[in-house]
Amino acid sequence: MNELINKVTKLLNDKTIDAFIGYGQGSTDRVRAIFARTVEQASKLIYTPACTFNLSGYLLKHEVKHLGKLGILANVAALRSIMQLASEFQIKDGEVYILFVNDDASLTEFSDFQSIEAFLEKANIDITPDEKARIEKIEAMSVSERWEFWNKEFEKCIKCYACRAACPMCYCHRCTTDVNQPQWIPVASHERGNLDYHLMRAMHLAGRCINCGECANACPMDIPLNLLTYQLIDPIKTGFGATAGMKADAVYALSTFKPDDKENFII
Amino acid sequence: MQDFEPKIVAFVCNWCTYAGADLTGTSRTKYAANVKIIRFPCTGRIDFMILMKAFENGADGIIVSGCHPNDCHYSTGNFHARRRWIVFRNLMNFTGIDTERILFSWVSAAEGFKWADVVNNTVAKIREMGPYENYNKIAVSTLLKEEVSNHE
Amino acid sequence: MSRIGVFVCHCGENISATVNCEKVAQISKELKGVEFSTDYKYMCSDPGQTMLKEAIKEHKLDGVVVAACSPRMHEPTFRKACSEAGLNPYLCEMSNIREHCSWVHPKDDLTTEKAEDLVRVMVEKVKKNKALNSIKVPVTKTALVIGGGVAGIQAALDIANCGHKVVMVEKQPSIGGHMSQLSETFPTLDCSQCILTPRMVEIAQHPNITLYTYAEVEKVDGFIGNFKITVRKKSKSLDEHLCTGCGLCTTKCPQKKIPNEFERGLGFRPAIYVPFPQAVPNKPVIDRENCTYYIKGKCKVCEIVCPTKAIRFDQEDELVEIEAGAIVLATGFDVLKSDFFPEYGYGKYKDVIDGLQFERLASASGPTMGEIRRPSDGQIPKKIVFVACAGSRDPAKGIEYCSKICCMYTAKHAMLYKHKVHDGTPYVFYMDIRAGGKMYEEFVRRAIVEDETQYIRGRVSTIYEKNGKLIVKGADTLMGAEPVEIEADMVVLATAGVANHGAEALAQTVHVSYDAYKFFAEAHPKLKPVETNTAGIFLAGACQAPKDIPESVAAASGAAVKVAALFSNDELTREPLIAVVNRQAPPVFSSCVGCFLCQSVCPYQAIEREEIKNRNGEVIKTLAKVNEGLCQGCGTCVALCRTKAIDIHGYSNQQVYTEVMALLND
Repeated sequence: MNELINKVTKLLNDKTIDAFIGYGQGSTDRVRAIFARTVEQASKLIYTPACTFNLSGYLLKHEVKHLGKLGILANVAALRSIMQLASEFQIKDGEVYILFVNDDASLTEFSDFQSIEAFLEKANIDITPDEKARIEKIEAMSVSERWEFWNKEFEKCIKCYACRAACPMCYCHRCTTDVNQPQWIPVASHERGNLDYHLMRAMHLAGRCINCGECANACPMDIPLNLLTYQLIDPIKTGFGATAGMKADAVYALSTFKPDDKENFII
Repeated sequence: MQDFEPKIVAFVCNWCTYAGADLTGTSRTKYAANVKIIRFPCTGRIDFMILMKAFENGADGIIVSGCHPNDCHYSTGNFHARRRWIVFRNLMNFTGIDTERILFSWVSAAEGFKWADVVNNTVAKIREMGPYENYNKIAVSTLLKEEVSNHE
Repeated sequence: MSRIGVFVCHCGENISATVNCEKVAQISKELKGVEFSTDYKYMCSDPGQTMLKEAIKEHKLDGVVVAACSPRMHEPTFRKACSEAGLNPYLCEMSNIREHCSWVHPKDDLTTEKAEDLVRVMVEKVKKNKALNSIKVPVTKTALVIGGGVAGIQAALDIANCGHKVVMVEKQPSIGGHMSQLSETFPTLDCSQCILTPRMVEIAQHPNITLYTYAEVEKVDGFIGNFKITVRKKSKSLDEHLCTGCGLCTTKCPQKKIPNEFERGLGFRPAIYVPFPQAVPNKPVIDRENCTYYIKGKCKVCEIVCPTKAIRFDQEDELVEIEAGAIVLATGFDVLKSDFFPEYGYGKYKDVIDGLQFERLASASGPTMGEIRRPSDGQIPKKIVFVACAGSRDPAKGIEYCSKICCMYTAKHAMLYKHKVHDGTPYVFYMDIRAGGKMYEEFVRRAIVEDETQYIRGRVSTIYEKNGKLIVKGADTLMGAEPVEIEADMVVLATAGVANHGAEALAQTVHVSYDAYKFFAEAHPKLKPVETNTAGIFLAGACQAPKDIPESVAAASGAAVKVAALFSNDELTREPLIAVVNRQAPPVFSSCVGCFLCQSVCPYQAIEREEIKNRNGEVIKTLAKVNEGLCQGCGTCVALCRTKAIDIHGYSNQQVYTEVMALLND
């Protein structure tokens, strides 16, 4: 932890960065993100087993961007987010100073995208066995059981959009939800509005989701909405050979095609 | 269920399926009147959200149709569409939307007979399946009427 | 509040036989925003259109729905009529109640109800329509012709003679293409060189034509009227201004045993060479792969003997930028490679040759000075077998099409042979004789009757060598599939015409589509045969499909006229039904977030990056922008855009959404 604080202190002192996004102690026993702009603030950085969430979502937030040159403490999910955002021209190579804490608590700094790509090739990027089991359980249901299952889940949704705010890939200034000409997504949080919202969200993240799970973590109603995008990861990988957040210059799976893409339902 | 007349919306591209349906007409081949066509320039233009809108406004079935692979007027629009359909169909399946109610097809400008078949088979199938009750429960007509005013 | 007019057409009885048109008009009148509605026998007739125009004026209509036939039929008619009445043409929509309704359904209430639904959908849609103006794009009046064969030559001359500038790019050291290799041409047996070379010279001398030989197109940017092309002029190792074309270097070059491509390997050439005597330009190039100096670092004989000191060993490739308003692709075709026919021994037996090689043997300027002598030992063959459809019409091997030119040139070959070897016997194995064309059938009859060519209907199964003879085994299907065996001295295969080497890569560079056989695809097989799906790029000759000379020339002139038509105005007008990325006031500028995932879905590379700069010139945002010249309006980007920043005129989000709503909520 000291190594991290020392490193960030040095980065701030020599003006390599203007602010560092890391973890700090929250007001309860939870950890939260802190944005260290001074040495004093940097001294409050922590790194504990509880520091698991993906900080990369802050990189594109207007308020954070304006702090100047940013540094970030990234985990695997954050590194993947950065790669995906790079492929969508949201982050340029060298624009963000990226630190990573290894298993032995030593620090790795990623000087360029290439080194991140090389690192990710060996990293474990799979969804957890538990998440996998939950997807399989839903897939095993009948169509109407699935409908009932999700209807029940979506019923809980209060359209607080915490999932959208937490997602590093939801960086549009104007979400489709906010479009009112036409009103694609009904504003009210009734079953239809909720279903529309979640289908739209899942489709817009299909092939872009890097399975960090922040959407589900953020949901105050405990809707397992990460499963919606997670279950698309495999078909996109096997069908189109694409995995999100692995390469900075990747072409988005739904922005391209192969003439012989396989399907079995078009007559 | 005898009286059930399914409502089916067809989203088709201008260059192949729309022209194919024109040919069905020119050939005076009969098909069921339940299907109504909405014209798009290309299947690539068909937003997945428009399919959601059709169901939630009371469609019992949907047909999506365009040029055969390699025949796209815009060279590649249908290839992109196909990928999206693959993914969206997956998502619909996972969320319990009955993909049996959406027929995806390639109908060329020369396939007037195929279009009649596609329509008749879809109508027969949806007629057998009955109204889309799951979706109807949350449809525009059932839920908050205030929504209706939004599109006017 | 809208003031929409609904006009229901009876189309004689075509619609009114099954649809109650009066009722459709009546019901439509009740729709919100409909000011006027009527039905009429023939809306597209003069009185019908006049009625439409008068109603627009009288009722001050701001939208029109014509319920009649398919918009693919009469949309332009009614849009024009609206325009003449002072209503923006894009405020007119059609409901297809004929092809999609009256013709496909029986006479009953459901059919009339469907017609009402279709009208209602369009009434709601037209409320969301926007007045649009056609797009004007400036035109650069220079054409780029890629390929200098007979098609390219014809297109270039036609365009240049219309007074427009032409840049011709040819990858070989000389223009002339395959036609310059031919001996005589069917069906007149006139000498190919005699009719082609004057045209080649005309290209070189035409004041409107710039010729780049030994050059290839490397990059094409831009769009109709405004292409930017990068051409790589490969180094000829020669200062062309100093070279007089005396040819001394080519005679002194010590490297003399390089198979001559022009002679299809039947002769040799030096490393510094002019492909053939009538070449245009008639100046040599050094083939660096085979030049002793480039291989071993020593030689320079050509430099020593050159009287004008024109050799430049250190010359580098040059990149030339060209601005052109139109592109004509005339890159021609190729014939199948020898490894395609192991059963015929092509490539293995020297005396099994292809049609183009036979052309060289028959050519007065060829390796045998026009005498038919077989390649192996120079003997005059007394029995010669021509195999038609060598590769063509063979689904098993992947070439399903008919190469079209082979029947005719095989007949010609048999005749040329008979004219030169009077005591020889030509045999032709064929599947069918396809001789459609002016004087073509008569020509084939001449080969059979006057020149006694033995036509055998059947395919050759195998060819092998035995005691210096080529044993050709086949079957005569007109004689009950009886086996036939001919001891031939030479065999000529009418090998299938295939897409030129590199056609696929060129298509991708130029951004045109191509078919499964890699031939360039026309925009419409019947009505747009020389256009491609990419506006401003046209096709001439055999790069599209196998074609003979008259057809290639006709297509080339067709392409030229398309180019001339395009160049006849300073600006071109295009339908405004294209995509747009929204723009808003600063500091938002647009709801586009610049993810550019739309960029790779666009089939036309129409999505550009626009940099928004602040007063200090710093880039503060990069947004997508649709190039109006390139966009063809497919809308594939629109459906992909997550933030709905891109929309498309004519099929906007508002319009399609409203259509669905109107259709399902009556």
